[in-house]
Amino acid sequence: MASVLITAIKRLTITAAPTRVYSSVTNSVATVSNSSLDVTKKEWMFPPAYTKPREVWIENMDSVEEKKLGLFELHPTVFASVPRIDLIHRNVTWQRKYRWISWAHTKTRAEVRGGGKKPWPQKGLGRARHGSIRSPLFRGGGVIHGPRSGTTHFYMLPFHQRIYGLTSTLSAKLAQDDLHLIKNLELPSDEPEFLKDLIENRNWGPSVLFVDDTDIAPRNITVATDALPHVNIMPVYGLNVYSMLKHDTLVLTLAAAERIEERILLLLHAITKDKEAPFKLDQV
Amino acid sequence: MGSRQITEKSLSMLRSLPRISLSNLRDNPGSKKTSKRGRAQHGGDKHGAGNKGSGQRQNYMRLGYETGNNPFYLRVPQEHYYRGHHLRRQYPPLSLLQLQHIIDKDRVDINKPIDIASIVKTGTYNFYPDQKHFGINLTDEGIDIFKAKINIEVQWASEQVIAAIERNGGVITTAYYDPHSLYLLKNPKKFFESGQAIPRRMIPPPDAIEYYTNPENRGYLADPDKVSEERLKLAQKYGYQLPNIESDPEYSMFCERKDPRQIFFGLEPGWVVNLKDKFILKPKDEELLQYYSA
Amino acid sequence: MATVLRSRCAFARLFAGKTGQILNNSIDLGIKSAPESLSATSVTRHYSSYSKSPFADKITEQYNYEIVKNPPEWTYVERLLPFETIPQVKPKDSYPSGWVPPKEEASNHPYFMRRTKNHEVPIYLNLYDRGQRKITKLKRIEGDIWSMNDEIKSLLEKKANKYVETRVHELGTFIEVKGDYVNELKEWALSKGF
Repeated sequence: MASVLITAIKRLTITAAPTRVYSSVTNSVATVSNSSLDVTKKEWMFPPAYTKPREVWIENMDSVEEKKLGLFELHPTVFASVPRIDLIHRNVTWQRKYRWISWAHTKTRAEVRGGGKKPWPQKGLGRARHGSIRSPLFRGGGVIHGPRSGTTHFYMLPFHQRIYGLTSTLSAKLAQDDLHLIKNLELPSDEPEFLKDLIENRNWGPSVLFVDDTDIAPRNITVATDALPHVNIMPVYGLNVYSMLKHDTLVLTLAAAERIEERILLLLHAITKDKEAPFKLDQV
Repeated sequence: MGSRQITEKSLSMLRSLPRISLSNLRDNPGSKKTSKRGRAQHGGDKHGAGNKGSGQRQNYMRLGYETGNNPFYLRVPQEHYYRGHHLRRQYPPLSLLQLQHIIDKDRVDINKPIDIASIVKTGTYNFYPDQKHFGINLTDEGIDIFKAKINIEVQWASEQVIAAIERNGGVITTAYYDPHSLYLLKNPKKFFESGQAIPRRMIPPPDAIEYYTNPENRGYLADPDKVSEERLKLAQKYGYQLPNIESDPEYSMFCERKDPRQIFFGLEPGWVVNLKDKFILKPKDEELLQYYSA
Repeated sequence: MATVLRSRCAFARLFAGKTGQILNNSIDLGIKSAPESLSATSVTRHYSSYSKSPFADKITEQYNYEIVKNPPEWTYVERLLPFETIPQVKPKDSYPSGWVPPKEEASNHPYFMRRTKNHEVPIYLNLYDRGQRKITKLKRIEGDIWSMNDEIKSLLEKKANKYVETRVHELGTFIEVKGDYVNELKEWALSKGF
């Protein structure tokens, strides 16, 4: 474990896929020696009690080749929690269903054209008694409990399931080498080719999601990602499980990572009685 | 230090498994129960409605009807001793043990006076003004272990509880809040955001005035001299040395009480608080000032 | 800023007279109702509160007020606002309520039990089957859960002099013990410093 870390430090300008530094025991070793490494040691508001924080390389965006600019610490509760696949599944299903409206529609016996008259007299004919030719028993009659247009499937997933869905996805992304940190979204050129080459070179999955703190991105990256449908930019408040899984790689700016950590840890340590209460449609 | 640590184990397992994507997610086995509609003999056929009668014909008997015999709700007679029980004032309990817990965990600042708003803010005490709850009833569970010097204001307290608090050098007052004031105290932020002026607190109803004017209960309307007399009496009754609050450096804090028409500490009726821009609007008109200071 | 609200409702009803059965709110609003407006398509508005409805007219009388910026009473306002996060506990000499703070040495063990956000030890008793089935649940476990399980089992079996069934759930990071051993396990957890 220690040798991997030391070779990683030596290879400062790395062109191959970046190595993750999992610092469970050998935390101190990685961060001491080289002076050109920019290591940010954080002051935690909620210090990690047992599980060690994760350390991730900060990468550059000015060249196609990868350069490591430093190390950044990430809180284990957010980025190294036990990945709950069932919670991720529930979050994805919720995101799919809660906005969906089913427009399927069938007519009831009252809505089907005709059938107001009694088809034949009650008695005397030897036939079954009927009141209308559009009853559900008839061919061409109304449907009893069929779909009715504009059926909503809205429901709110419990508050903590949504939080832990986010932490599970972020931890899974980090564990599977699909999470990268960059300083900011400044690109040297607005050519979509540049981004394409960068993604290709660094072995990032074909689809990439850039997450920034603000919802206004610099011009270059906006123009570049405009042309590429599989590369998208998102502000922190739009972060969701579905988008993180749809895009193969997740790239966070430092500010975004800080903000995500701050928000999630704050909510996990706050009095959330009003958030756990049943969701009211008119609530703020 | 490998795979016995559960977090590291699960995360390192993920490294050797395919990428988690939208196409390989699953919920826990047994989480989804697909209920099929009933078919044939069991569940189908009569669809749980039985045979003939009002049940199958969906023409049910009224609720409580017991097919002719004297139903339960008519069989049990009324008792006049509980008449109006649903209209009586209720004081949900808060024990001294819970209070000590709150203080130990620093959820409330002992260096400032404690009132119902600060206790509700801790998140550990709940009361619902719309359900005839009129405030905190400080109970004597944990009376032996209670050791905190506080200035507390509750709505109901028994003699032992008063003794327990005064023994530690604290001060207790019982005060009345009308239901509207209680709503404000329960969620002050919501009230400030509504942009209304802080109203006056109402005086207690006739049957409560006696309680709150009695110095034995440390009522807020009682004579302060009589209250200090009662403090001495109580100390003698329960056999403890009454600590001298005057010599305490925090004496001014222990003296802080609310005006009988005041709801929040430090904020007078008639003021409008602007949370966003951080200023307070205070009335200057004669008429209003007279009204609010009545 | 207090404004006195006045109602015009009573006046409108006087003008409507004996014939006037006010069918919609138009009269109250002072609008002359055309024949079309009395049709089935016109909808009566329902207002959420009297003060916000057009029945109550706002008079131009304004009361004098002063705006105090950065008032000295702002500390009192801040005291009333809810917590952002549950406050951290400052170390004290003694805790009369019986609460025990977590210790530094807790992270030396191969396993760990994180405190809840209310700084309590996460050991609970769940009751099933009308109270006949008691299961003690130890939640929020990190580290080597299996060695913790072994320790707990041996400890409880010694105390109870009988076999103690446990269930280890790695993904859920909890251990369930069959029976009511909450007090023993809480004691053990506090002795470990969790």
